[in-house]
Amino acid sequence: MKLSAYPAFTATAFTSRLAYRNQVWSGMFGELVATFAFIAVWTAAFVGRGTVDGVTLPDMVTYVIIAGPLLNWNTTRYIREVGDAIRTGDVTTFLLKPLHYPALLFFNQLGNNAFEQLSITLPVAVIVALAVGLLPPASVAHGLLFLAYWVVSWSMMFLIATLTAMLAFWLLTAFALDWFLRGIMAVASGAVVPLWFMPAPLAAILGYLPFAWVSYYPSAVYLGKLDLPAASLHLAIGCIWLATLVGILTWLWSRMRHRLIVQGG
Amino acid sequence: MSPIISATGVGKTFRQLKRQSGFGGALKSLFSRDYTDIRAVDGISFAINAGEAVGYLGPNGAGKSTMIKMMTGILTPSAGTLSVLGREPHAHRMTNAAEIGVVFGQRSQLWWDLPVRDSFDLNRHIYDIPPARFADNLRYLTAMLDMASYLDRPVRQLSLGQRMRAEIAMALLHDPKILFLDEPTIGLDVVAKDAVRKFLAEINRERGTTIILTTHDLVDIEEICPRLIMVDDGKLLFDGELNRLRASLGSRRRLTLEFATDPGPIALTTATLTADEGAAKHFVLDDETVSLLDVLGELGRGHGLKDVKLEEPDIEEVIRTFYLNKPNLASAP
Repeated sequence: MKLSAYPAFTATAFTSRLAYRNQVWSGMFGELVATFAFIAVWTAAFVGRGTVDGVTLPDMVTYVIIAGPLLNWNTTRYIREVGDAIRTGDVTTFLLKPLHYPALLFFNQLGNNAFEQLSITLPVAVIVALAVGLLPPASVAHGLLFLAYWVVSWSMMFLIATLTAMLAFWLLTAFALDWFLRGIMAVASGAVVPLWFMPAPLAAILGYLPFAWVSYYPSAVYLGKLDLPAASLHLAIGCIWLATLVGILTWLWSRMRHRLIVQGG
Repeated sequence: MSPIISATGVGKTFRQLKRQSGFGGALKSLFSRDYTDIRAVDGISFAINAGEAVGYLGPNGAGKSTMIKMMTGILTPSAGTLSVLGREPHAHRMTNAAEIGVVFGQRSQLWWDLPVRDSFDLNRHIYDIPPARFADNLRYLTAMLDMASYLDRPVRQLSLGQRMRAEIAMALLHDPKILFLDEPTIGLDVVAKDAVRKFLAEINRERGTTIILTTHDLVDIEEICPRLIMVDDGKLLFDGELNRLRASLGSRRRLTLEFATDPGPIALTTATLTADEGAAKHFVLDDETVSLLDVLGELGRGHGLKDVKLEEPDIEEVIRTFYLNKPNLASAP
């Protein structure tokens, strides 16, 4: 199969999602409620104070909108589907075709998330931004860097979710893995509480783990909490993480494929 | 002509973890692990030529699916050599995959939420099928498998029979040289089964596609596959034409004589008594050449004969006889 044929899977995944239009409404509703709830919590925390550790309330509201709906990639369905395919041996149907399975997953999930971003999270971000106000990026350079971080964020989440789903091959349960990952992501990605409000030792550790590139760093760069050299440096570290995870994924997949074709499902 | 598939002493052994029962057993297995070797396929050899249609038959757990998986390259043989289209399938999975088509009766390859046509179109990309060829094949398969009415319906709305026809069409769009089918008629109703069988026989005849098919339904074999490979416990039991199997087993015809009242014991030189229910007596004819007239002539008048029934052995019976007698036959196929 030619590489140029893989985008067909993106289109297929995108149109598949159109079949479930009610998911759009329930998804939007859920995201709206969660986002407004977080904004209410931060508003309460900032009552009577202009800034906390150099962060203002408008900063926090902007952080919630970006780290929340926008960079909170939904992988529940994906992990269950891939995990189940691996666990039940349905993954062999993909091995029967002349294609590279992880590449197929990549383009497939790209279509899924593109659909969610366009139909659910972007509209929610716009609605909330219009309702409560959204700060512009700290500078044009920060804004451009944010776009690069956005791509890194999605790629990182794809790799983390795929690696998690592949554990189903050895642990035989995708359901528990999804919960496990959601627990880790809630804390380590900074989607709920930014790293700057965390105890210094914890923030230091989480700041070097790949999860922080999913929500925390992109949002912090948008707000200008990292100066341009630091933002560029962290973008490079993020890319090193991406390369590392691609390596682990490739190794895990080849081991799994080997075991599949030696041991059989 | 060299064979398109050749297997020489192919074997597959799975290592299975011996699980100990109970909590104590679970604890024990943390420290010491016992494995049992399971021979799913054991020293199987055969050669299949291009254009053949071969039925691969055996009871559950006989190693049929394992053999199919090895031929399609998603399982590595642990012994012997296997060559498909001149290659070791597992070592050249991608190249092999591009030239074969596979249908699993129990596993769908169609995209559940999409119209059938979209799944087909995705295959056009996966197999890099030239547009004109794709259009030709789609037209041919749609007509042959009568799919026009549901080509634009999502797969989840299809009946099992419609879905299976779509699965088969999908596996043929890229003109594979070999089509592997693992229980393609499982769960289908009589009409759908018939449609699938007719089509497979046709594609084998008209397009020369080599067909390898596993099934439990012996009618599949009878209507599609002139050649039969029978396995049990991973070993080859029979490889040859269905007719030969029938002939080698004598394929003896069954005769039932019904009398108005029990005529007492009846002995015939041309037939052997198999069951005596008094007024109804069951025989098998000893010889292909014996005719009903011979039997009735020998029986003579005066027994109060009410009805006579002569039955050809059906394929199920042939196979059953075969498995019952397998120790004698396995050595001299």
